Amino acid sequence: MNGCILILVALGLSIVFGLMGIINFAHGIFYMLGAYAGWLTIQLTGSFWLALLTAPAAVGLVGVLVERGVLKRIYGTRNANFAGVLVTYGLAIMIPDLVRMTFGRPGKPFAVPAALTGSLFRLGAIDVHAYRVFILVVTAVLMPLLWLLLNRTNLGLVIRAGTSDNLMVQLLGINVARTWTITYALGAALAAFAGVITAPLVAVAPEMGGLVLIECFIVTVVGGMGTFLGVVAGGLLIGETLALTGMVYDVLADVVIYLAMALVLLVRPRGLFGQEGMSEE
Amino acid sequence: MRGLLLAAAVLATAPLYADYTPFYLGLLTEVLVFGLFALAYDVLLGHAGVLSLGHSAFLGVAAYVTGILLARYRLPIELSILAGAVGGLLTSLILGLLVLRKRGVYLAMLTLALSQVFYYVVLMWTPVTGGTDGLGNLPILYLSEPLGWRLSKRPITRYYVIAIAIFLAMLAIRHLLRSPLGRVMRAVKANETRAAACGFDTRRVRLAAFAISGLFSGLAGALLTVVLEFVPIENIHWQMSGSVLIMTLFGGTGTLLGPFVGAGVFIWMRDFLSKHLEYWEVFVGGAFVLIVLFLPDGIAGTLARLVARRRPVPADPAESGPPEPERLVKAGARAGAADGRLLESRGLSKTFGGLTAVNRVDFQVRAGELRSVIGPNGAGKTTFFNLLTGVLPPSAGRVLFKGRDITGLPAHAVSRLGIARSYQVTNIFGDLTVFENVRIAAQSRVTHYRFWGNADSLAAVNARAEEILRHLGLAPKRHARASELSHGEQRYLEIGIALATDPDFLLLDEPTAGMSPDETQRTAAFVRRLAGHVTIVVVEHDMEVVMGISDRITVLNYGEILAEGSPAEIRENADVRRVYLRD
Repeated sequence: MNGCILILVALGLSIVFGLMGIINFAHGIFYMLGAYAGWLTIQLTGSFWLALLTAPAAVGLVGVLVERGVLKRIYGTRNANFAGVLVTYGLAIMIPDLVRMTFGRPGKPFAVPAALTGSLFRLGAIDVHAYRVFILVVTAVLMPLLWLLLNRTNLGLVIRAGTSDNLMVQLLGINVARTWTITYALGAALAAFAGVITAPLVAVAPEMGGLVLIECFIVTVVGGMGTFLGVVAGGLLIGETLALTGMVYDVLADVVIYLAMALVLLVRPRGLFGQEGMSEE
Repeated sequence: MRGLLLAAAVLATAPLYADYTPFYLGLLTEVLVFGLFALAYDVLLGHAGVLSLGHSAFLGVAAYVTGILLARYRLPIELSILAGAVGGLLTSLILGLLVLRKRGVYLAMLTLALSQVFYYVVLMWTPVTGGTDGLGNLPILYLSEPLGWRLSKRPITRYYVIAIAIFLAMLAIRHLLRSPLGRVMRAVKANETRAAACGFDTRRVRLAAFAISGLFSGLAGALLTVVLEFVPIENIHWQMSGSVLIMTLFGGTGTLLGPFVGAGVFIWMRDFLSKHLEYWEVFVGGAFVLIVLFLPDGIAGTLARLVARRRPVPADPAESGPPEPERLVKAGARAGAADGRLLESRGLSKTFGGLTAVNRVDFQVRAGELRSVIGPNGAGKTTFFNLLTGVLPPSAGRVLFKGRDITGLPAHAVSRLGIARSYQVTNIFGDLTVFENVRIAAQSRVTHYRFWGNADSLAAVNARAEEILRHLGLAPKRHARASELSHGEQRYLEIGIALATDPDFLLLDEPTAGMSPDETQRTAAFVRRLAGHVTIVVVEHDMEVVMGISDRITVLNYGEILAEGSPAEIRENADVRRVYLRD
């Protein structure tokens, strides 16, 4: 369950990194903004299901603004990748405070939608909650769709080609600038979607983006940056490790995933599914 | 020098402006300590080109080590600070060894994640570190005898003691950056591939930069404990790494004083803005974004550049002439293997997936020879070159140099044995001056890691670099940035870099690529005259050049040797004619 959400968030981070070479520190912000957009939708309309649509759409739009308004200025400059880290980091400092200004410091309650409350069935001594099953099903449906998008459509082809040789794709007369905008917005929308479906399980708060961001870093390092399968495997591995060790001792869970990452780095520096020469520069 | 005097004057008089109030003096001392932290950070970012987001670990470990030694073991303050700095150094070595297999932003992400391990250790080890409450209960702090000055609740004494320590640290860092090692760091930042081809082990150089940065970050962490008389857990949280990054960029990278300006602005924002504005982080984050976008040199860096622009560049005596290759090569080219073979490959192959770029090539070059390697596009010439020089590991086969197996040796080790090369696409240190380009290559034969003494006072290295520039006709441009040279000049400079490493064996990958007919003529003559002094292998497309200068020619086709012989033999060879005329 933890793993599912990590996969959704980390996937956007990984796609953006793969295509644009930018480690998007603002990615956690999109996740947090998604949760807030969802909360706002429910306040206004009362519909959780509508929130699942409006939040990714609204945050996707924010992604477009960030990409067009800020990131666009650094493309092609010297050390563009560094600058990308820096400006998105600046945004990651700024935006939580903007959210605090608008919505106040305390977190917002976010109820599990009525249709999905309660337990679905019992598995031995454990109640299996309907909402957790819902998350599992949603991820299971979304993953193949995203895989098809990246592997079987023109957009996906351009994204993957751009990942390996950006200049060449431009020379072929493809509008890479638009692809970058779409990709960045897609990553933001995915994070926002994950933010909405996590919201009922955690408190919606301005700080929620920071934590998930670092966990996503670990997922992508363990799985292999820029690979679809790597993110899925890394997400499941890290998510479940977090959940299992978390049952024993809370802080231990965090330490264990960091140690797991250090171990993978030592044994397989490219990550579990990373390929030779990919995304290392 | 002027910067140092300015720094000393500001440090000595700053308490005047703070009206000697304990509160402002405390803040001022904190600014100094964070300025040192930012300066140490900039050693890595501004001088070695490595973006780290793990510096919270260096600062934090040092702060805790010092705090624990003071609070629990009541050690003398000087010893505790020293131990803290060493703690920072060791932490940076651990982190550096783990992350330096990677580069760029990926490395940055790893430093961030790994530094958090230290945070969690501190968090869990509450009995010793105090956990989230931080580490308190420090004794009243005194310097040891004979000084014996009290520091606690004596803001002026404390300010001056810390200011002196930080001034000394600044001197040390300045010295390090001007040392031969400091110059190698800059070269690695400017062009890592080129630096490796000059014989520098770039990973180790970056590790050395990590260590220097860790040591002084550690010193800053230890001093921070003395200033605050408390260790907050925020010191070791990853956001501290973000803060130091912001401070450094606010001030400007690559300057000695910039980090202190940046620390001042940051702490001003933190302490004064937050008093009047609840949401001060909006402004810090916003200012940071704006500075990255519009003021990439930072505040102090931009000022320094404006001042520098008004200072005239010293004119050079115009002394130019055609290149004189005879004097470019050190006397007495060393002998090859007993049978006269300098370089040899046996069954050398390279496959990329299903594509075989180089297929079981047996190749010999005798000492003193000028050999050309030709072949149609995609024949595997450049791949073959990269296998010989250790840029790519071969899939099969061996490379022998002077009878010694050098297969799979990394590029820097190959260079140290006496093999130098130029690249098909011009590969120079674009950000460095023309002189420094050649000087650093010459330095590679003298010292790599010496961190004391001024690199500019290595007389033999300077003389060698001057000599090479003069004979290449580049001396009048020695102060120009290499990236500002014309294409032809850059190609010459690249050959100069290669020759400055005193090679026995020189590989030139398409030296005339992109040159005008006139330049091509000159370069061909130049290479021919060079050949009497050093063994050369040239990859070349221009058949006229190849036929004119070569002793022997090797023809590659589909990764295999098609023919080998004198220019006349190759001209008459039926296979070669078929490939070149009908293919």
